[in-house]
Amino acid sequence: MSRLDEHAEIREQMPLFVAGALEADALSRVALHLATCADCSAELERWQLITGGLRRLPTPQPPAALFERTRALAVARLAEHRDDRRNRTALVLLILFSWAVTLAGWPIFRLATGGLLSLLDVNFRQTWLLFVVFSVGTWLAGGSAAVLLSLRRQREGRLA
Amino acid sequence: MGVDAAIVKLRRGDPDALATLMARYQNRIYRYLLRLVRQPADAEDLFQQTWLRVAEKIRSFDTSRNFDAWLFTLARNLALDHLRRKRPTSLDGPSSGDSSGDTMASRLPSPGPGPFEQLLAGERAGRLAVALESLPLSYREVVTLRFEEEMKIEEIALVLATPVATVKSRLYRSLAQLRQILGTSAGGEVRA
Repeated sequence: MSRLDEHAEIREQMPLFVAGALEADALSRVALHLATCADCSAELERWQLITGGLRRLPTPQPPAALFERTRALAVARLAEHRDDRRNRTALVLLILFSWAVTLAGWPIFRLATGGLLSLLDVNFRQTWLLFVVFSVGTWLAGGSAAVLLSLRRQREGRLA
Repeated sequence: MGVDAAIVKLRRGDPDALATLMARYQNRIYRYLLRLVRQPADAEDLFQQTWLRVAEKIRSFDTSRNFDAWLFTLARNLALDHLRRKRPTSLDGPSSGDSSGDTMASRLPSPGPGPFEQLLAGERAGRLAVALESLPLSYREVVTLRFEEEMKIEEIALVLATPVATVKSRLYRSLAQLRQILGTSAGGEVRA
């Protein structure tokens, strides 16, 4: 490579050199050249004026009120999400509990309606039909209670 | 309290940790947003939206990853959505919305200790800020992330969701364009 070509190649790489974006081998080649070339060093200084200026640009400050306003809103949003998570966890636990109550209540229901011995009834179709009716009834009652509670909460929210 | 500790606490819903992180990042995030959207009122609105988004999404943040990149990506996505909603010409056009001709750059506080140095530095910084403002959005953001936020090339690639080679290419072109703008306005001589 002629000396002229080398200058051109080094100058071509200078924007990335001053941006710290050159790979190690290219970086060392440019640095080596700069150590012996006054013209390219002067060219480097021109690029450094730009990058140095960019680094020293004044930092615009957000208005003080913006910080407080944003913090208050973000904290409220954080609390909302925390409540949502709690409600979701409570709902999952409630569903599990409902299933447990449903299953545990089944023998009691059978005892009250047909006697303990009928638990051993091999008439599978009838047993499962009763179980389905019992489960649907329980879940409908639970769902209605949840809807009523939700409506009440909405009404309270509107009044607050 | 280190950033990691604050993030862990914020993930548990600690409002004090949110205030700590906001205090730490407020200037950087505001500056980045201002560089992207150029209008202080828009930047303020996006600043607020960014922190609300942080409050919503912090639990989905993987603590083993780079928080800076995550935070700036949130801010960037909101800014890009905002710019898309506006007229396309506003993406890269000159600063508007101020009939006095006052640019965002000229409203920035002036640095420098002595009056003469302050005048010179202020003039240079003002010209450079105006030149930066005139760059297309994709160039403006790599310049501000690299030189103002001092992010590594790989971090910038994470924020922009682009390959490292693209970041380098944009950096190269943006610096070349900045030099051209400053060179043209200074009669062929670079005087940033």
